[in-house]
Amino acid sequence: MGDFLSFLGNNLIDFWSYTGMANATIGHLVMLGFGLFFIYLAIAKEYEPMLLIPIGFGILIGNIPFNLEAGLQVGIYEEGSVLNILYQGVTSGWYPPLIFLGIGAMTDFSALISNPKLLLIGAAAQFGIFGAYIIALQMGFDPSQAGAIGIIGGADGPTAIFLSSKLAPNLMGAIAVSAYSYMALVPVIQPPIMRLLTTKKERVIRMKTPRQVSHTEKVVFPIIGLLLTTMLVPSGLPLLGMLFFGNLLKESGVTKRLANTASGPLIDTITILLGLTVGASTQASEFLTIDSVKIFGLGAVSFIMATTAGVLFVKIFNLFLKKGNKINPLIGNAGVSAVPDSARISQVVGSEYDPTNYLLMHAMGPNVAGVIGSAVAAGILLGFLY
Amino acid sequence: MNQKNIGLILFFTICFVIGSNAQSRSSLRINEVLVTNEDNFVDDYGQHNGWIEIWNSSFSSINIGGCYLTNDKSNPKKYLIPRGDVLTIIKPRQHILFWADDRPQRGTFHLNFKLEAGKDNYIALYDSNGKTLIDQINIPASITTDQSYARVEDGVSQWIIKDGTQDNYVTPSTNNMIEHANIKIENFEKHDSGGIGMSLIAMSTVFTGLILLYLAFKLTGKIAITMSNRKDMKQTNKAADSKSASTVKTAPQGKGASEDIVAISMALHEYFGGDHDVENMVLTFSEVGASHSPWSMKLFGLRKR
Repeated sequence: MGDFLSFLGNNLIDFWSYTGMANATIGHLVMLGFGLFFIYLAIAKEYEPMLLIPIGFGILIGNIPFNLEAGLQVGIYEEGSVLNILYQGVTSGWYPPLIFLGIGAMTDFSALISNPKLLLIGAAAQFGIFGAYIIALQMGFDPSQAGAIGIIGGADGPTAIFLSSKLAPNLMGAIAVSAYSYMALVPVIQPPIMRLLTTKKERVIRMKTPRQVSHTEKVVFPIIGLLLTTMLVPSGLPLLGMLFFGNLLKESGVTKRLANTASGPLIDTITILLGLTVGASTQASEFLTIDSVKIFGLGAVSFIMATTAGVLFVKIFNLFLKKGNKINPLIGNAGVSAVPDSARISQVVGSEYDPTNYLLMHAMGPNVAGVIGSAVAAGILLGFLY
Repeated sequence: MNQKNIGLILFFTICFVIGSNAQSRSSLRINEVLVTNEDNFVDDYGQHNGWIEIWNSSFSSINIGGCYLTNDKSNPKKYLIPRGDVLTIIKPRQHILFWADDRPQRGTFHLNFKLEAGKDNYIALYDSNGKTLIDQINIPASITTDQSYARVEDGVSQWIIKDGTQDNYVTPSTNNMIEHANIKIENFEKHDSGGIGMSLIAMSTVFTGLILLYLAFKLTGKIAITMSNRKDMKQTNKAADSKSASTVKTAPQGKGASEDIVAISMALHEYFGGDHDVENMVLTFSEVGASHSPWSMKLFGLRKR
């Protein structure tokens, strides 16, 4: 009987050593708190729920403590585990281009085509990337890491993941979570900057209604867009190629099924996998470092700089435009390519000052230009630093 | 689709497949050769023999199985590299080593010829047809024991004799030029530690790319507007011509024609009770539905719960 009890006792001790409770550390609890906070933001505040729910839940999955020595093949960093297999789409960089395919297939570039000067706002907002790059260098990151951190300012999650997987794989978790967090916090970060930098008179500028764009122009756009941008920056090919390909599927009018798949089931599937695995990659032992804190700080700085650059650029640009062609500087923030949230912020802030002034359609122009701009910027960083 | 078109598509597909195959094999390079081996790399039998290193310069795996290695110009098919051995697949930018020991019975990587010291040695790699030359090299007779004849860097055209001294290593199965540091990043740290140069270049490139797009679409827009106007004008003229001269004596012509028609149609629409939006005390019932709006497509997509 004594042997039997001792046998049971030993097995219970063994079992206990495998449980999450026995292996939990403060780091795990902190990360679980982050995961719950993300889920709260997504559900209660409706901040980017499509991204924050998978990421938040992924953080929970990735931070359930377990015995690392047991070889259970459950952790995302354990080769052969299910999570590790799913994570390969992130590490080898093929999830982000597929997301771009979906974005291309669901984006209407009419605003840009009808008023192409809005493209330049998308370029100006990329100052955020390089501002953060310069500061990151000063903070002691090497050029590759600084480039990967700077891209957070592009406000483009897939681009940030793609670039960091190439330039700084060890920082990818922190960069991805930081990029998506700030994208979700666009409604909090951008409006004060927009109000601070504009006058009341500027906020009520009414822009010309965009002209109707012909089918031919819409079909030509992705083809010319691809040729011009990738000839200049071939390293941006995976992202830009898929973006414009998706848009051609949509605009050609003869591949509706493919466009619907790319903009529906495909992008949804990849968003789920990408969000979940990026969240799970924030395993406390890898994620809770001083570098992660610095990256979060730099992410905020880059978002603020990008928004500032976009708004100021429009104000300067207006000096050279005729009276009827002025641009409302409240759409300058939309150059930050958090599609479509930053464009929606332009609309929300604009309607506070003139409820009949509809800025959304105008803001979508710099918004999608920002997507192109950040992909080009990522291509340049990759070309220079990889 | 008729048979001719199907035939053409098949033809181009076959050409493409053959072309891409040839292109990948053509990326193989004879990269380094050691003729007399006394104190260098040993083979899997623990013996010292001369060796030939092949490098895959492409960014995809290439199977060298089925190709030929030879040291005889008159016999390109001297040694057939066996097919069906997984080890003959060379990973991207990686190397593979063949032992020139004249003992092919020892396995795939043991050739049926030896390299001769004190003489020029000709080595060539042929594609699987035995006719297409992939790469060839003449090893000078001056090369001595444990020295290799190698490209300065993997794949480059310049060759040197490596004598095994410091900075001139013999490098079987590895890169000919060993990088001890990340030169690119070090240069950035040295010449652009503040990141200003990089930022200026990158922002200029982003602006250049988007300015090019701006110019392209400004031009495209102008062309589209001109074509649209022409089309409208043609249609108006055609409509006017199709009506008899007796009924339409003064058919609207030119640019203003479509505007006239729109104005007349609008007036008729209003007269027959079109929607009223402005007048007081008039209720307007407009159809409300989930109409398509390109501006809100993504909103619906991202906000639906």
